[in-house]
Formats: sequence, C-alpha cells, structure tokens
Amino acid sequence: METAALIVVLVIALALFFDFTNGFHDTANAMATPIATGALKPKVAVMLAAVLNLVGAFLSTEVSQTISHGIINEKEITGLSFLPIIFAGLIGAITWNMLTWLLGLPSSSSHALFGGLIGATLVGASAAAINFGAVLSKVVLPALIAPFTAGVIAFAATRLAYAITRRYDNKPDGRDGFRWGQIFTSSLVALAHGTNDAQKTMGVITLALIAVGWQSSAQADPHLWVIIACALAIALGTYMGGWRIIRTLGKGLTDVKPAQGFSAETSTAATILASSAFGFALSTTQVASGSVIGSGLGRRGSTVRWRTVGRITIGWVLTLPASAAVGAFAALLVVWFGNWGILLDAILAVAIIVALFLRSRRSAVDAANAMSEVADSGLAVKVPRKAPPTRRRRALLREEAQQKAADASRATDRKDAQR
Amino acid sequence: MIEIDWVAFLRVAGAALAGAMLVVGFYAVGLRMLVRAGRAPVVAPAEFTDAITVISEKEARKAAKAAAKAAKKSPLTEGQKRLALLAAYGSFALCAAAVVAGLVLIIAK
Repeated sequence: METAALIVVLVIALALFFDFTNGFHDTANAMATPIATGALKPKVAVMLAAVLNLVGAFLSTEVSQTISHGIINEKEITGLSFLPIIFAGLIGAITWNMLTWLLGLPSSSSHALFGGLIGATLVGASAAAINFGAVLSKVVLPALIAPFTAGVIAFAATRLAYAITRRYDNKPDGRDGFRWGQIFTSSLVALAHGTNDAQKTMGVITLALIAVGWQSSAQADPHLWVIIACALAIALGTYMGGWRIIRTLGKGLTDVKPAQGFSAETSTAATILASSAFGFALSTTQVASGSVIGSGLGRRGSTVRWRTVGRITIGWVLTLPASAAVGAFAALLVVWFGNWGILLDAILAVAIIVALFLRSRRSAVDAANAMSEVADSGLAVKVPRKAPPTRRRRALLREEAQQKAADASRATDRKDAQR
Repeated sequence: MIEIDWVAFLRVAGAALAGAMLVVGFYAVGLRMLVRAGRAPVVAPAEFTDAITVISEKEARKAAKAAAKAAKKSPLTEGQKRLALLAAYGSFALCAAAVVAGLVLIIAK
C-alpha cells in the first residue's frame, strides 16, 4: 500500500506538471491575437489569461468525467495495477510534448495526454480496458471535426463583421471598435481554455484516486482539492508562459485586423465552451488554429497556403499515435521490470524535465520556439495588403466610369457644336 | 458495435455557430450604430510594438481626425443621432447578454 501511495503522489505531481506545461504552452492561444492587434498590453493580457484560466477550471467538470469515467474501462483493470499505467501514460504525454516543443513541431498537449494513456493501457492492461467508442466519439472525432467547425464559424463571423460595418463612402467605418471587443473575446477564450484543458488533468488524477480506492468510482466529480490544484497549476503555467511571449513580441505574428481577431476569438470560445458542455475533450490549440485560418479566409482576396496547412495537419495527426507509442514503451518498462520499471520511468521523466529546462535556458527565445501554432496558423492564409473591391464597389466603380465617359462624350459633342 | 452520437456533434456545431453569430452580429451592429450616431470609435492600440502592423501612431491620429470630420458632416438630426446611440448601446447589451446566457447554460448543465 505504501508503494501505491508513493505512485499516486508521483502521478499527481506529474499530472500537475503536465497541467503547468499545458498552460505555459497555450497562453498564446488566447492572447496572440489581442496582442497582435494592440487590443491589450502584453502584461495585462498574460495576467488576464492566467486569472480566467483559474476561473474557467471551476466552471464545468464534463471533460474531467470523460477522462475519468469514459475512455478507460476501470472494471477491466485491477485497482493497484492501473496506477503504473497512468504513470506511464503521463510519461508518454510529457515526453512527446517536450520533444515537439523542442523541435518546434506542431502538436496538441491534450492529444498527447490521450495518446499516452491509450498506449500505456494497451500494453500494460489489454485492448478491452479501452472504451474505443468513447475514444472515437469524445476524442478522435471531435479532434477532426472541431478545428474545421471553428474555421467555418470564424469564416462566417468575419464575413458578417465586415459586411455589417462596410461603408462605400470612404468615411470611418468604426472597425477600430473591434479592438475593445477583443478584450472580452480573448478573455472568453482564456476562460474556455480553463473549462477544457484544466479538466483533463483533473480527470487523470481522479482516475488515479479511483484506482487506489481513495475515491469511489460512483462519484463522477473530482474532489475540490483536485480542482483547486489543477486550476492553480494551469493558471501558474499560463502566467509563466506569457513572459516568453512578451519577450518575443514583435516577431512572427501575422497581420491580424481587429475585426478578424474578434471573429476568430469568438469562434474559438464558442466552439470550446459548447464542446466542454458536452464533455468533448478538444485540443484548444487546434480549435484556435482553425479559427485563425477561417477568419483569415474571411478577408477578401485571401488564399490558402496549402503546404503550411499540410505541415500543421501532419503534426496534429501524428500526435496521438506518437504519444501512444511513447506511453506504450513506458508501460512496457513497467511490465518487464515491475517496480524497477516505475523507477526507470520516474528517472526518465526527471531527465526529460531537466533536459528541457537546461535546453530552454541555453536556446535563445525567439518567435520560432515561443509562439504557439496558432500564430503559425496565420501564415497558412495569404491576405493581400489591399483587398480587392466588393461586388457592390465594383458596380459603383463601373457606374462612375460610365458616368465619366458619358460626361466626356457630352463635353466633346458640345465642343464640336460650338465649332 | 461502437455507437456515435452524431446529434451531439450537430448540437455543438449549431450552438457554437449561433452563439458566435449572435455575439459578432450584435457587436458589429452596435459599432455601425455608433458610427451613425457620429461617434465612430477610433481605438489606438494599447501599446505600439513591432508586432502591430495594423496601425501606426501616425495612422491612429489621422483616423481620429477623419472620424471627427465625418461626425461634423453628418446629415442626421440630433434626435436621429441620439436614437442611433441608443440602438448602439442596446446592441452591445444584447451582445453581452448572449455571452452571459451561453456561460449560464454551460455552468447549469
């Protein structure tokens, strides 16, 4: 029992560290666009994101329940044997997360977590221990559908925002006012992030507590201390991650107009919040990226850079199987060496964290390694500096040209008549 | 046999689309009405950094001047302007109400 308690403590520590890195990585999801358009001062943006992530973590527990009572069949696993599996799954998730972060590859923290857990369960228990229906309907399909849905919504919202505020008399259109709105929409994204991403770690810790018998499997909601710990970890990560963004500000951000940023953030927040209510465990990075691409396409004359889209998509698709493979390897060590395997995994985890820390100290912070993929996604859409005229503007220009030609011909006729 | 609740996906997409359109629509109408009331908002960035390619300090000043000039030339009567301003505030209030309603629905679920 003492070993089990020790493993539970290790799982909780690792899960909270994962939560911290999640916040650290995802600050830019909420705050890249308001900083880019100047809606918020960077320091204010980061502080706001941290506070709202904290609040968001308390709003819903649906996603947490998907993790703790959905994707794994706890009945198929004997209590204590399940703890090393969760531990191995977390190792898989963290390793893949760190690796992609260091290499600058697009990835999703959430899918790394699911992949790690699934891979470790497949090797450490059996295929029967995985609820493939829940994995498909609550993880895989939302991962495929949500970024596309967010993109379509952002596209429609951007078109709507521009259509309502468009003027044909070259007078001020008031679109600058979207910069005010962005303060609220980016706050909503940060709140939504808290409702979805903090829940994932709560789910993992709850799963560990159920496995060791410290929580009844009938109780779906996580303990209050779990909610508070996860909320604090993600908020702290968000706050710490933000300073890197401030340092790198000025590089790598694409041209985002306030109306476009407002629409993208509204779409991201609406998609994540609606999904959180239904217990869909989304990747907030993917949703925010889909929105940025969709809102870019909503601007007139924009075209897609398919190579960039392809690169980002491949990174997303790879995350789940790759982290599953790492999680499976970590579980294999436990299966082969028992408690020594757990120790080996723990050493591996510490080595990865230390290596990451040293590497992050050594390498210069620039746009390539500090901004999220959301900023990268902006590059997937090519927007001309001067948008082509709308249909109505073209008609007006044609009318003006015809009028000028008619006036000119009348003037010529008058001159001829005078002669 | 794996059962997938496709209706849930449709409901999420529908709710997100409706929510986003309401928020963006009401906010944009509010801005349009502000412009009509002769109060076109000119919001300079909170901080001018290299990242902001959207507008420079000089451009912000120019935009403020243009807005003031357009407001002076407005053909609307004072009463019409007041009505437009009222409509603008009403629209912003509806936008905020849509956000709050969405959050309440999620928390209550």
